[in-house]
Amino acid sequence: MSELEHRRHRREKRYRRLLVLYPKDHRREHVEEMVCVLLAAAADDTLARAPKPVAWAVRFGQDTADSADLIAGAARIRSRLAANRIKRSRWYSRTVRDPQWSDALAVVSVVAPLLLVVAALAEFSIPQVAASFVTGHAHLRIDTFVSLSDLPLASGAPAVVVLAFLRLRQGAALAAVAVAIGLVGAEAGPALAGYASPAVAFSILLACTAAAALQLSPGPERGLALLTRRGAVWVGVGGVILGGFSVGGNAWFGYPNPQAGFTSFNSEVAGLPADLLIAVVLVGVAAFCLRTPVSRRILALLAVPVIPYAFLWQEKLAGDLVGAPGGASSVIPSSILLLYVPPLILACLIVAGTRLARRRGTGRARRMGSPRTPAGPRGAVRA
Amino acid sequence: MQEPTFLILTALAAGAQHGYGIMIDVARISDGRVRLRAGTLYAALDRLKSDGLVSSDKEEIVDGRLRRYYKITDEGTQELSAEVGRLRANTAAAAARLGLAGGTA
Repeated sequence: MSELEHRRHRREKRYRRLLVLYPKDHRREHVEEMVCVLLAAAADDTLARAPKPVAWAVRFGQDTADSADLIAGAARIRSRLAANRIKRSRWYSRTVRDPQWSDALAVVSVVAPLLLVVAALAEFSIPQVAASFVTGHAHLRIDTFVSLSDLPLASGAPAVVVLAFLRLRQGAALAAVAVAIGLVGAEAGPALAGYASPAVAFSILLACTAAAALQLSPGPERGLALLTRRGAVWVGVGGVILGGFSVGGNAWFGYPNPQAGFTSFNSEVAGLPADLLIAVVLVGVAAFCLRTPVSRRILALLAVPVIPYAFLWQEKLAGDLVGAPGGASSVIPSSILLLYVPPLILACLIVAGTRLARRRGTGRARRMGSPRTPAGPRGAVRA
Repeated sequence: MQEPTFLILTALAAGAQHGYGIMIDVARISDGRVRLRAGTLYAALDRLKSDGLVSSDKEEIVDGRLRRYYKITDEGTQELSAEVGRLRANTAAAAARLGLAGGTA
């Protein structure tokens, strides 16, 4: 075997090893012709007379580029097949293709990025300062210190909103995923040390919800078209309440307090009245969201990130009731089960209820012999 | 339509070609600017086939190796024509705004 043949043989073996990355069906159909094309494109013959170092450098560059291209090609084909499989799945046709879920996701693709910005502002205590100014309970200052753990949310949240409104939906979804990954990375240390923060969990879940809504929905334009003026007002009020009157991003990391020991709620702004206001507004938003099929689905989607936030609020309420922030309360016991389970059950009930209503609606439409009409803009989010 | 897709369809618009032939033709059409590699080419062909824009034609064995030819479908021809129309309109608009004589660069 000549040197040229030996080299071609080695190259072919390397290509065949990389072609294993391709899906089985694709391999069966194309592997032989791909090897043929790869070998034909290799510049072995033309390099025969080139100086040895030049030939080696050219071959090395070509092999590296071909290998990277084969890996990228396999990834592209596999991701396309996976996307097609999801699109054909029952779950996809019942949720994303369902007009009511699609509309709910579109509204969430507007609301979740905006709430993410509120969460980012809360990192600097900005909504809390505004709230304490309004309530006259001004003991908070804007926190201008940006630590490394603040960066994913502080820089990522505005990026998500800007990309979403520039109609770069996939870019916005990727930015939201990056925020979630960044927050997980930044908070992994404290979480492992036992300081897992529900406020950070809220931001992480919210970023994931925003990414899913941006990726799966028709987009924020559809969401804005569905959000009526009253709906937009409720979204704004909900955001301000969550970000302003409740506790923000850094709330879980307390500071030593000579009177009360280790205080966890350094962002508390207005005590019990604000807690009650938060409860009234959240219950009001939830009650209004129960009115239409689309808004029920929005509630179910947004219930996911709010679950850990509710835990913070309960801790705060418990502290307010006994007068010591962060302290245990005999009136409302501070328990993870108590706070996580009811919203979870509520979210499950909402999902089950909407599915049952949909099934009944479909059955009725079938009996009547008329197709089910999708929710229009007016019937969507009448909060 | 992405540029490699446009160039692959353009290469096949003249007649059926095998993979290596498409690679050479694409480099020639783009004046050497776009050089497709096998991974990119077959990922694009796979997508174009599933979209119904390209189909497999004949197969032959050359030097003991399989050579499969690809051809553009009617749907692919329509898609390419539509893209040519879009590009032509955009080019004319750009040329008009630049004040280029005759609308050509």
